[in-house]
Amino acid sequence: MDPQIKNDCRRKQTNKLLQEKQSGRRQFLKGAARVAALGGAAMLSGCGAGMFGSNEEYSLRWQEYFKKNYRLMTPEEKDETVRRLERLARLKSDVDVQVSSEAPIDGVLFGYAFNVTRCEGYMECVTACVKENNLDRKSNTQYIRIFEMEHGQMSPEVGDGKYFHKVPVEDHFYMGVQCYHCQNAPCTKACPVRATWQEPDGIVVVDYDWCIGCRYCMAACPYYGRRFNWNEPQVPLAEMTKKQHYLGNRMRRKGQMEKCTFCVQRSREGRLPACVEACPTGARVFGNLLDPKSEIRFVLKNKKVFRFKDDLGTDPKFWYFVD
Amino acid sequence: MLALILAVFSGGYAYSAQDGVVQIYKNATAPFDDEKKVDSILLIPEKTVPVKTKYQGGLFWTETRKEKIERFKCSKCHNNKSVRISQAAEMAHGTIVLDHGGAQKPLSCYTCHEKGDRDFLVTEAGLKVDMDHSYRMCGQCHFRQARDWVGGAHGKRISYWAGQRVVKNCVSCHDPHSPLFEKRWPKTYSPPFK
Repeated sequence: MDPQIKNDCRRKQTNKLLQEKQSGRRQFLKGAARVAALGGAAMLSGCGAGMFGSNEEYSLRWQEYFKKNYRLMTPEEKDETVRRLERLARLKSDVDVQVSSEAPIDGVLFGYAFNVTRCEGYMECVTACVKENNLDRKSNTQYIRIFEMEHGQMSPEVGDGKYFHKVPVEDHFYMGVQCYHCQNAPCTKACPVRATWQEPDGIVVVDYDWCIGCRYCMAACPYYGRRFNWNEPQVPLAEMTKKQHYLGNRMRRKGQMEKCTFCVQRSREGRLPACVEACPTGARVFGNLLDPKSEIRFVLKNKKVFRFKDDLGTDPKFWYFVD
Repeated sequence: MLALILAVFSGGYAYSAQDGVVQIYKNATAPFDDEKKVDSILLIPEKTVPVKTKYQGGLFWTETRKEKIERFKCSKCHNNKSVRISQAAEMAHGTIVLDHGGAQKPLSCYTCHEKGDRDFLVTEAGLKVDMDHSYRMCGQCHFRQARDWVGGAHGKRISYWAGQRVVKNCVSCHDPHSPLFEKRWPKTYSPPFK
């Protein structure tokens, strides 16, 4: 036999072996899950509805448990998990949600600017955000914080967020703080299971189902931009936003990390995030950094801008500006 | 001399060493084709008019004003026929509070409204301005805000960041008769930073 061919054969064989070895554990678990689901279904059909509700719910939850990290899923797998999540929401709380897995738009890098001169502290952005993103009402989770600050104060860490009077007040300004979607985000590096990452359009997202709830990212964020679900999030069904995104405002569980996603379910459709739309003073500017004609580029070119804790090198895509 | 050279050199170096997202957006000079890239964008909504000034991306639109004015057209009453209703002026315009221009330069009705043709506004230079294009009136004094509004640093877009640019008019947010925002209670509160 020609040694060249023989060599090739051997390489093919080892390659095949390697492949089998790599996928062995996952394949086994998958198989086990299917068998268990079938077995469970068979068992439950014998004794009626069990602790997991219907057979279908039981089977769907098994499949959900063994799905991949969102970044490793093929488009078909993304579709499947999205359908499962919709069906589970229907079975669990009898609610019709539309979960999307809309991909980032090519040639888009989202940026945000906040006008500290214009913000009057009405906090309408906060309530709009809570409603749009299905944030937990029980623990009063909020992505956005607004601080009332005196002239000369430089950091929202010394500002007052619990002001209880009519706003605006003379000689004060208002500064909004949220996730800055850093280009060099420390939170994504801290995650031990790679459940959080930056999407190509610049949005830092979390795969809620891959998160193990260790809160390393929360500790790594110098801006206190991440929120943890200490309890099962509670949202009244009547107030729930039904139009959801896998990486955005779909319902989280207890023990999962969450954060601002620039309303990924809206921004990837060309719509403005809920906070920008709700702002009554127009202090919030949102747009595509890669588009020379966008408003955000106008602000960056013509206004005095600064970034919070710029010296840390996190490279936030969130600028403050003054008129 | 040496210090000067050093300063110039280090300044130039600092600029060229700028990287990260600032460099990324500075490198992006090609226009973004909204209609090709974004599927679900709204075309120009109804009740808007094209603004007479162009912004850095060309033509843009703003909300109309006329259908929001309760008794437009004004010439329904303001014509050369006499009005038969008693206290008609009080009934029609009694709720208007004029607080514009402060104590130093208070504005009167005819600073903006055309005396001869009440359906229109009039600039200081005597140009008749349609009610839908009232931003042209505001820009006479508030030229900095007007420039920012055209560029995108003042005011806000409506609903979409992509697609044809449609923005709020000056009078969509500011009452032209008393343009300062009222004080009001905040909707909620924020927990401390840490």
